[in-house]
Order: sequence, then structure tokens, then C-alpha cells
Amino acid sequence: MADRGQSWPTQQDESAIIDLGDVNDRDDGSDYETDMSRGPTDGSGKGSLEEDVRKRLTDNVTQMVWNAGTQQAKRAWSLYGNIDILRPYFNVEPHEVRTRLLQSFLPRMPSSEKQRAYRELYGPLMVVFTLIALLLFQMKAAEHKVEEGTLMGTAFGVCFTYWWGTAALMWFLSYVCNAHITSIQLLSLLGYGLAGHCVVILLGTLIHTSHDHLFFYLLWAVFGGLSTLKMVGVILSRTHGKSQRLILSCTIAAIHLLFLLYLHFAYHQIVEDLSRVLDSDPVVKQPEVVNNVRTVSKGEI
Amino acid sequence: MLALCTIWQVKCLDVKRHQTLAVLNPFKAAEHDMMQDTDLAGPLVFCLAFGGSLMLCGKLQFGYIYGIGVVGCMAMYFLLNMMSLTGVSVGCVVSVLGYCLLPMVILSSSAVLLSLKGMIGIVLTVLAVVWCSFSSSKLFVSALSMENQQPLVAYPCGLVYGVFALLTVF
Repeated sequence: MADRGQSWPTQQDESAIIDLGDVNDRDDGSDYETDMSRGPTDGSGKGSLEEDVRKRLTDNVTQMVWNAGTQQAKRAWSLYGNIDILRPYFNVEPHEVRTRLLQSFLPRMPSSEKQRAYRELYGPLMVVFTLIALLLFQMKAAEHKVEEGTLMGTAFGVCFTYWWGTAALMWFLSYVCNAHITSIQLLSLLGYGLAGHCVVILLGTLIHTSHDHLFFYLLWAVFGGLSTLKMVGVILSRTHGKSQRLILSCTIAAIHLLFLLYLHFAYHQIVEDLSRVLDSDPVVKQPEVVNNVRTVSKGEI
Repeated sequence: MLALCTIWQVKCLDVKRHQTLAVLNPFKAAEHDMMQDTDLAGPLVFCLAFGGSLMLCGKLQFGYIYGIGVVGCMAMYFLLNMMSLTGVSVGCVVSVLGYCLLPMVILSSSAVLLSLKGMIGIVLTVLAVVWCSFSSSKLFVSALSMENQQPLVAYPCGLVYGVFALLTVF
């Protein structure tokens, strides 16, 4: 007999009369043919039981995998997404920050002894914020206009992209070159290295030189060079191998010095151009020519 | 009911008066629980007054005040939560930074009468920034028990108010 368990309870619940027309509509053949196609009567029930078990097993395994994945994700988020893991890097005293700022301008000769790289984020973060404020000051003083953006957004984007982007690049190169320096130490080193940039931009904005970049290049060489040498010395003391040292030191020196050039020529140069345009002679003489023409025309009349 | 509302209003005005006086006199020691009652009405009034006084100078900078205020408050909230043991609420940060904007309001009001790009203007601007950062750092360290770290709190406050000063001067 075919399995009509699904229809029988319904019909039995509603009425005692069985409509053979409804029964025959559900099949394209007789019960006997259906039975033949599926095999023996006890085999079809067993097959559906196997399918049911397989389906339930699949559902259970899927649920288990989903739960395990969710637990892993939650554990990872609670471990790495918790902002409290940064607390130890902000535990500093004022005299420590002052000392580290001054030391960022005092390079030491590389030796066999490892030079200390601090694991701190307060000082570097303040240096980056100072650089942002100085860039805003420079852009405001130059009446620099940013299309499709804001001055603050531009300054934030430039400074934080340099800080984090360069740290990420140097971390990758340090990993490849097997240098003994962590990502926090790189962030700290690069952050304190930006103190030189702050000094150069502040002095360059306060002291304008008319279309002569010698003063800027002097500051760039002195302050930019000192901070670069400090960073290079720390990295060299933590790297073994000549080619590895060359790669890391050249990369950080190039990026650090070129960034200062970019900051000057992208934002400060506008002040020089404006002052040159406003001080040029042909613009001053024009009103006199107009007056001369009026005088001549009055004389003829 | 009316009496309760009146008492509540008097208490709020009293809180505002105390906090305003704490800003105006930065050398007076701040009470530890002064910032327990965070108040946003006073900072809002001061921000509007700042924008209004800039408007009198021909500068419509309400959007910049809002943007710089939000970014500055978020940065200070993150920094103070990292540096303090107890943590700080956003309301407390907004309240302190907003009340300590009062000297900047005075500076922008003086910009109506005299130019801030001269030597006197530069001196007044520097004084206002130092006054704001000293007051705000004093309130933060008294609320969070961080007396030995006041310079570390004052410097970022100085940066925030320095950006407000840029709006006033340029």
C-alpha cells in the first residue's frame, strides 16, 4: 500500500466519506505501480527514515559549526576589540614625555647594544595632534581652500595616514627583514619622529622668506635629519644583516624626509606664491596708466 | 509640583553658577564632586554665544564650532578614558570643555572691537588659550584624581582651544 498517511488523517478528521477521485489525483499511477517503482514496502519507509536522519544530522552539524564560529568571533572581539588593551601605553609621567621628546632629536651611534624603543602612545598621539593643529594654522594663514573637503579633514587624513601607513609598511618590512621591533614601538618611534616636522612647519609658517627656500631646506636638513638619524639608529641596532639594515634605514629615511617636503610644498608654498603675486610691479602701475589716459583726453577737449 | 520644579530649576542655576565661577577663577581649587552634575545647557549657551560673537565679526562659523567641538570631545573622551583609572563619561567631557569655552567667548567678543592679528591680539589669544586649558585641566584632574598628570591633560585641551582660537583670529 502506498503511504497515504498524509491525506488519510485529514479526510478522517473531516468526514468518514472517502473520495476516491481525490485519492487518485495525487498519484499518476496506481498504488501498486508506485510501490513497484519505489521497491518493497518496507524499503520506502526505511529510505525516508534515512533521509530524515541525514537531514537532521546536517542541521545539527550546521548549527554546531555556526555556534562554534560565533563563539570564536566573540572571543576574538573581546580580546582584540577591547580598547582597554591600549591603557598601558598611556600610563606616562610628564617628565618622561619631555625627556623622550628631547631624545627624539639626539641620535646615537649604532652599536651592538640595542637602543631603547619606547612602547608608548600618549606622546606620539600628542605630536600628531600638534602637527594637525600646525597644518590648520598654516592653511588658515595661507587662506588655503580645499575643494570637496574641509581643512580639518584634510589635516587629519594626511597626518594619521602617514603615521599609521608608514608604521604598517615598516612593520611589514621589519617582519621580512627579521628586525626585533614591534608595531607599538614603530608607532611610538614614528610619532616622536614627527616632532621635527612640527618644529620645521612652525618656524616655516612664522618666518616667511620671499621666494627663497634656503631657510626651509636648512631647517629640513637640521631637524628633519636629526629625527631621521634617531629613528635609523634605533632600527639599525635591532636589525642584523647588511642588506636588511640598508632596506629598512633607506625606506624610513626616504619616507620621513619626503613627507616633510610634501607638507611644505603642498601647503606652505601657496603663501609664497600669493606674496609674490601681490608684490609684483605691473599690478601697481596700472592705475597710473588709466589716470594718464584721462588727463590726455581732457586736454584734447 | 510647582515647588519641586522651582527647586529643581534653582538647583540647576546654582550648578551653572558654580561651574562658571570655577572657570572664571582658574586658581581656585575645584571640588571633587563638582562635575558629578553634568550639564549641557551651559556649554550649549557658550557655544552659541561664541558663534554669535564670531557672526558679529562677519564670520559664520557655527558648522566649524560644531565639528571641532565634536572631534575635540571625542578625542578627549578617548584620551581621558585611557589615562584615568575610573574612566569618564561623555557628558562630563562635553560639560567641562563647554564651560571652559567662556574665555574664548570673551576673546571673540573683543575681536569685534580690535584686530587680533596684531601684537596685542596675539597676546590676548595666547592668554585665552592658556586660561581655557588651565581651567579645563583643573576640572578634569579634580574629577578623576589625576593631580600629577595635569600637564598631560592640559596640553590636549590647549590644542582643542587653540583650534577654536584659529577660528577667532583668521
